[in-house]
Amino acid sequence: MAATDGTALAALMRAALALPVLALPVRAHAAEVGEIGFALLGYKERGLMKISEPLMWGKVQIGDNWTVSASALVDIVTGASPELVSNASGTPMRTVTGASISDRRTAGDLKVTRRFGALALGASRAVSNEEDYRSRAFGLDASYELEGKLTTLAAGYGKSNDRVGSADNPDLDERRDTKEYLLGVTQVISPTALAQSSLQWSRGKGYYNDPYKRTLTFYPDADLPILYDDTRPAERNTLAWLTRYRNHDPGRGTLQADYRYYHDDWGISAHTLEVAYQWDLSEAWSVRPSLRYYTQSAADFYGQVVPRPPPEVLSSDQRLAAFGGLSPAVRLTWRLDTVTVEGTAGYYYNAANLRPGGGTEGFVPLRAYYGLLTIVKSF
Amino acid sequence: MTLYPFTFQAMASTNEVQVHAATPEAARFAAALAIEEVRRIEAKYSRYRPESVLSRINAAAGDDPVSVDPETAQLLAYADSCYRMSDGLFDATSGILRLAWDFKKPRVPTERDLAPLRTRIGWPRVELTATTVRLPEAGMELDFGGFGKEYAVDRAVAVLLEQGVTSAMVNLAGDLAITGPQPGGAPWRVGVQHPRRTGAVVATVEVASGALATSGDYERYVEVDGVRHCHVLDPRTGQSARGFQSVTAIAPACLVAGTATTIAMLKGVALGQEWLAALGLPHLCVLEDGAVVDRTGGR
Repeated sequence: MAATDGTALAALMRAALALPVLALPVRAHAAEVGEIGFALLGYKERGLMKISEPLMWGKVQIGDNWTVSASALVDIVTGASPELVSNASGTPMRTVTGASISDRRTAGDLKVTRRFGALALGASRAVSNEEDYRSRAFGLDASYELEGKLTTLAAGYGKSNDRVGSADNPDLDERRDTKEYLLGVTQVISPTALAQSSLQWSRGKGYYNDPYKRTLTFYPDADLPILYDDTRPAERNTLAWLTRYRNHDPGRGTLQADYRYYHDDWGISAHTLEVAYQWDLSEAWSVRPSLRYYTQSAADFYGQVVPRPPPEVLSSDQRLAAFGGLSPAVRLTWRLDTVTVEGTAGYYYNAANLRPGGGTEGFVPLRAYYGLLTIVKSF
Repeated sequence: MTLYPFTFQAMASTNEVQVHAATPEAARFAAALAIEEVRRIEAKYSRYRPESVLSRINAAAGDDPVSVDPETAQLLAYADSCYRMSDGLFDATSGILRLAWDFKKPRVPTERDLAPLRTRIGWPRVELTATTVRLPEAGMELDFGGFGKEYAVDRAVAVLLEQGVTSAMVNLAGDLAITGPQPGGAPWRVGVQHPRRTGAVVATVEVASGALATSGDYERYVEVDGVRHCHVLDPRTGQSARGFQSVTAIAPACLVAGTATTIAMLKGVALGQEWLAALGLPHLCVLEDGAVVDRTGGR
């Protein structure tokens, strides 16, 4: 290739600028771009718990190649629920205890991304602390844009070292270590359509038990009930495949469809399908109704009753049962200049009969509401 | 600040102006002035309008010199620079080749068709002064097709900037200019038309500011015996350009981006890429085999 000497361009520009036109500086990027955001989440599970989550984040692009982002959050959990599943005379019966605890979680993360042309490398660090749980995680990720920028490949690795404790048992201090991997591809299909597919898998070892959960069973021939601590396998390997599709209809809106398949070696297989449409009502306002359907099979060791003799692993945590869930939500977005305000209201309904073929008998339907408010200012 | 898009018909295609403005009235006002400017240039330099400046010049071929206004004289001076810089590949008198090339029929003109037309091509023979132009031979023609639309983009941008619009995009059928980043600093994302699949993009380019033009073999062409002959024609031979499916360049002015891509198409794959590199303009080429060479820098 010939060297750039600039004289040819200068001559062409001189000839063009003899005309009543103005030269525009050629720039691919704005010099410095950043944003700060604030989010507040409220969650109410009927009679059970309420979480509010003030979250702040900031992101700044420095020059063309560096991006730094950070976030911090405080979770306030009130009325969390230690619960018991019990049965009298063989029929499982669930009791929800009224005991109420209040907990506070603080968390933060920092991520630095450096771009080398088509390649971007990122490193992140996240910490999270609460009274009975502590997490330290770091991650590395890379993305590479193929010639023409229509295809982006991504790979990631993450490691998380957690400590599990208990407010009830000061002696409990157990480890849980997880390694996560990701491979993904994003493809521009047309000027308005985009598809993304990624495979994530993780290998975890350590303490997975819920120190607050016990399974209680009354056998008619025994005087005392059997009380069994939540006991889960000391390993968990998961696999998730996520595919997203976005189709933008200029001037009207954007269709979003996501499908996720999940499988782990506890015996849980899950499917999630979410469809949303964002209507652009005007340049300032848009509304996005969405509907998510979820279904999962039960973990192999899920049970509401302690069998005789007691097994090695057993949990009556409803989240390990077979069930289905529907979650409609609506999000309203308002943009003015560099400020974006979003409000989301959603509802969860999880029930056994929402799983094709029926879920776990005795599954107590979960009804929960949540609201999310986000404010983002870019500069 | 809100983004207001406007679409309009001009120069035989659908075009758009998108303006970030505080109120719809401000956006409409600025866009209307820009669109009016595009229409003014179309009327002034259209080959299809008998009353246009261009038609007057062509009608007087072989006759007396035609006096021209400063704008036309400057455009002709620009065409002159392009001719000299491209060693004759960019020739504003080569439009006459359209008489031999009918892209509606699968037929390649023979040497017998082209030879008589070539004698009517020759920019150096055009008699140019600061205020007049004369085509020396009846049957010679000037055609602003190689830079008229690009000039209209640049003029629309100038109008928008005069109106104080700092973030806008003018897009005349794929030749476009962006006056500045979107509010919040984000660049505009421009899709480059896939040369072989209608409605698909072959690449996306982020532009915070600058003008972008694409020259391709896919707009008008005929395919004969598996060979594609496109409307980008070499004035020296009358034959169509080879080697690129499309060339896109980003420059401070759309005129320059358009000229750079047309000349690159005509130079062919090796010399064309060398020419773009020497200009130092960010560019993206789709080669004959569909391979994409992205030299737009970074992502």
